[in-house]
Amino acid sequence: MTLEELYANMGGNYEHAKQIMKMDKLIDKYVRKLKNSDIRTRLASAFETMDPAQLFESAHAMKGVCGNLGLDDLAALADEITEEFRPGNNRKMSDEEAKAKVQNALDMLQKTLDCIEAYEQSAA
Amino acid sequence: MIRSKQIKNPQLVLVVDDQEINRDVLGMILEDYYDIVYAENGKEALEKINEYREKLSVILLDLMMPVMDGFTVLEKVKNDEQLNHIPVIVLTAEKSAELRALQMGAADFITKPFDMHEVILARVSRIIELSEGRKLISAAEHDHLTMLYNKNFFFEYANRIHNYHPEWHMDAVVINIDQFHTINALNGFEFGDNVLRILGNEIRSFLAETEGIASRFEADRFDIYCIQQPDYQVVLDRFQNKLNELSETANIRLRMGVKPWNEDVEPVVLFDCARTACNKVRGDNMTHLMIYDEDMRMREMLGQRLMNDLHQAVDEHQFTVYYQPKYNIQVDPPRLTSAEALIRWKHPELGMISPADFIPLFEGNGQIRIVDNFVWAEAAHQIAEWKEKYDITIPVSVNLSRVDVFDPSLEDRLRHLIVDNSLDFKDMKLEVTESAYTENGEQLISLISHLREIGFEIEMDDFGSGYSSLNMLSSMPIDILKMDMKFIRNIEHSETDFRLVKLVLDIARYLDVPVIAEGVENENQLKMLKDAGCDIVQGFYFSRPVPPDIFEKYIVQELELRKLGERQ
Repeated sequence: MTLEELYANMGGNYEHAKQIMKMDKLIDKYVRKLKNSDIRTRLASAFETMDPAQLFESAHAMKGVCGNLGLDDLAALADEITEEFRPGNNRKMSDEEAKAKVQNALDMLQKTLDCIEAYEQSAA
Repeated sequence: MIRSKQIKNPQLVLVVDDQEINRDVLGMILEDYYDIVYAENGKEALEKINEYREKLSVILLDLMMPVMDGFTVLEKVKNDEQLNHIPVIVLTAEKSAELRALQMGAADFITKPFDMHEVILARVSRIIELSEGRKLISAAEHDHLTMLYNKNFFFEYANRIHNYHPEWHMDAVVINIDQFHTINALNGFEFGDNVLRILGNEIRSFLAETEGIASRFEADRFDIYCIQQPDYQVVLDRFQNKLNELSETANIRLRMGVKPWNEDVEPVVLFDCARTACNKVRGDNMTHLMIYDEDMRMREMLGQRLMNDLHQAVDEHQFTVYYQPKYNIQVDPPRLTSAEALIRWKHPELGMISPADFIPLFEGNGQIRIVDNFVWAEAAHQIAEWKEKYDITIPVSVNLSRVDVFDPSLEDRLRHLIVDNSLDFKDMKLEVTESAYTENGEQLISLISHLREIGFEIEMDDFGSGYSSLNMLSSMPIDILKMDMKFIRNIEHSETDFRLVKLVLDIARYLDVPVIAEGVENENQLKMLKDAGCDIVQGFYFSRPVPPDIFEKYIVQELELRKLGERQ
């Protein structure tokens, strides 16, 4: 599987990733690192309690990392959650809507990680 | 733009982000140009900042982090005097965070994701340049020893205060250290530097309590521009006490001059006056604080006028030379041996001006050469005239000023006078003050030795007012000692003073040179000096300084005594 194919599968923006990291070698290195990072675990544990502070922090971290990997849709989703739970912001969503949003993010993130897993398998 | 990996020691950047991917991406962007250290939370960042505080050129700081967030790091850095010179660029994607970070002292921000590499590089490089530029300015702005302003920056800021806050009553204060060169010479430059540093520190802590700025203006002169203080003696005592703690033996004395605020008077003028006041402390003053007043202003104006009038005075023959006789008192009756030439200035509008008023003035600006030249020429001419008229040589002594000593044409100038007037070198004696000897040391000694080889005789003037050691004295080239007038004034009433006189006479005997006592006013003093073994006397007892025609009567008396002697 090529990196382009991986990005197509993940729904990521390969061009943007390329703009940030310049070389495929580096994109390869960092998408693999995403798989081992704590991004999803943190969001998942925040989801358990739906604690606003935890949600804000984990979504914020997810936003930064995904942004730098060219995973623009994930970054946009993380941004929505970040703003929803940013201390001082007025909530726009109902609790259920918010919960669904986070669940969605977790699902998309899982799908992305699965894609990376498949990518790794194909390269091995 | 300086791309720093091309230089030997690349600049160091700290990247702080909790996410490894973010750190690595940023590192990748920067690594070709900078050395990079990383931290993954605020706490670790502070440890790194402290560890590398002398080397760090910039901090790239994420704001949202576990353990300690970026705002806390930013706050700690900006509130720490040791660290707040390091610029911080925040890494963020939110406008509100940008604003808050900038308000807290961040230099700039970089937005996530890091997709505009050139923009990131340009921002980092520009912030480093700005910060290094500011360090350069700060280095130029401050005196490295005391961390006070340099004089140019000081006046720049003083002028701003003066212009922007005309309602503040700001006084000019000038502080000097007495005989600072001697303190250096006796204790070493390191000690001297320490004195300056301690005084600088104390001035800064004084300014922390009141409004104002300060500068080490030059060597040991400090200028303070501060809000009017109720009592400057308190301020001076505070500084003096601090220095007293430093050394009990070094005896460091401060003097202070103050020019109080005056509406519309610019700082530079205020400080001129404060310096004048500070210089008035020199000498025997018991007080070490002087406030500039009307009297000083009048004297300054007079001084300015006299300096302006000097050339005209020479051209219009307002100067004349008076002569005061010196008598050998070890014979009976005392006999005329020589004279001292003394300048007099009859100003067309101000009348007779005392040499005490204009000589220090012209010594200060170097114009004393003009006066000296005039006196030497007149004296040489007068000696020749008396020689011709009476067939007798009355040697006349003239003063050599400090500036003359450094004049390479001095020997030629003197030689011409002697030759042109057909005199012997020993007919014109040269008086040099003791303080000139001690201040100019070797250069003066070699010059004087040379003049003596030619044939001039040298009188050491004001002996006892300086600080010659016996050891120095024995190596000084002199032919005659002139005792300082102060010794004579009280010999009748003060046993101590008379003992000092006898001591000087002993020293002179040890050096095998005659002594001239100046300022002798009455017969009693004369007798005491004669009994103590003093050779020659000059003073009102015999005669005030008089014009040449009146002096001639002393020559005539001398001639009669000689005739009498021949007949006997």
